[in-house]
Amino acid sequence: MTTTRLDLDREQMGRDLVALVLTVVELLRQLMERQAIRRVEQGDLSEEQVEEIGTTLMLLDERMTELCDRHGVRPEDLNLDLGPLGSLLPRD
Amino acid sequence: MSDLVTAAPQDTTTATYVFAVSRTVDPSVLAGLPGMEEGAPVHVLPCGRLTAVVQAVTAAHFTEEAWQARLSDPAELERCARAHHAVVSAAATCGPTVPLPLATLYRGDSRVRQAMADEADRFTSVLDRIAGHVEWGVKVYAAPAPSGPEPDVAGADTAVKGAGLAYLNRKRGLQQRRHHRHEEALRAAEAVDAELREFAAASRRLRPHGQEASGRRRVQVLNAAYLVAEGSAAELTELTGLLEARTGAEIEISGPWVPYSFVGGA
Repeated sequence: MTTTRLDLDREQMGRDLVALVLTVVELLRQLMERQAIRRVEQGDLSEEQVEEIGTTLMLLDERMTELCDRHGVRPEDLNLDLGPLGSLLPRD
Repeated sequence: MSDLVTAAPQDTTTATYVFAVSRTVDPSVLAGLPGMEEGAPVHVLPCGRLTAVVQAVTAAHFTEEAWQARLSDPAELERCARAHHAVVSAAATCGPTVPLPLATLYRGDSRVRQAMADEADRFTSVLDRIAGHVEWGVKVYAAPAPSGPEPDVAGADTAVKGAGLAYLNRKRGLQQRRHHRHEEALRAAEAVDAELREFAAASRRLRPHGQEASGRRRVQVLNAAYLVAEGSAAELTELTGLLEARTGAEIEISGPWVPYSFVGGA
C-alpha cells in the first residue's frame, strides 16, 4: 500500500514545484513592473511606449492569475519566507 | 571569559557552570532548583566582594561539540535556557544580579574565584548600574495595511489614455502607498524609541525579528530593551499606551526581566 503514499507525495511535490516556479516568474514580473514605473516616472518614454509597456505588464499580470487558478495556487502562496530578511515579495 | 573545556565524552570530570554574579545571594532561594543537570545542587560560591551562583556539571556535556549538538535540539535548548533563567531569576530576588551567558564554564571553583577577582571592578560597576532597575522588552509592529478600495493616487490624467497607462498608474499608486507606510512605520519606531529612552536609564536596540512566518502577518519595526527603575511598570504601560494611540503602531511590552541586555561592557 506504499504506492498510494508515494503518489500522494509526488503530487504534493509537483504542486510545490509549480508554486516555486510561479514565485520566481512573479518576482521577475514585479521587478519588470518596478523598472517600468521608474522609467515612466523619469519621463523619457513616449505615450505610446508607456501604453504598450503598461498593456504588456497588465496582460502578464492576468496571465499569472490564470496560471495560479489552473494550478490551484493562491496568489499569497507565491512567496518565500526569507527569515530575518522578510519575504521575497511584498505581502500586501 | 570561560575557559575552553576539553574532555573526552566518557570523562566524568566536572566543571563549574556559572549562572550569575551578585553581591550576596541567600542560599535558600536556590534550594530545589535543578540547574543544568541532575547531580550536584546549585549553590553560592563566595568570591571576595562578589558571589557567584554555580553548579558542578559534567565537563563532557559542555565540550564545544556536545554543546553545539545540544543547541541544535530545540527541546534541549529550551530546557537549558529555562533552567538557566530559573536560577538567574531566583538569585535576582536577593538584589542586583549579573546574568552570565548560557554555558559559561570554568574548570573548577578556584578558576571561578580567580576570574571573579580579575573582573571584580567590572562586575561591581555593572551591579551598581543595574541596582534598582529591571529590563523591559518593547516591540513595535507597523500599523496594518488599510483595506478597502484603492484611492487613485497617481493623478487624473487616466481618462483619455488607455488601459496600459491606467494599469501602470494603479501599480505606481500601490507602490507609493507601500513606501509611505514603510516610512511611517520607521518613523513610529523612532518616535517610540526616543520617548522610551527619555524614560529609561539605558536602552539597547536589538535586531528586529522578521515578518512572522505564521499567524498574523505583521512587520516588526522596533525590538528594543530598556533598563527602567523597579516598580515603574504602571508608568511604562501608560506611556506605551499613549505612544500606541499617537503613532498608530502596535506596541508590545514584556517584563520585568533580569537586565540581561545591560550587563555587557562597563
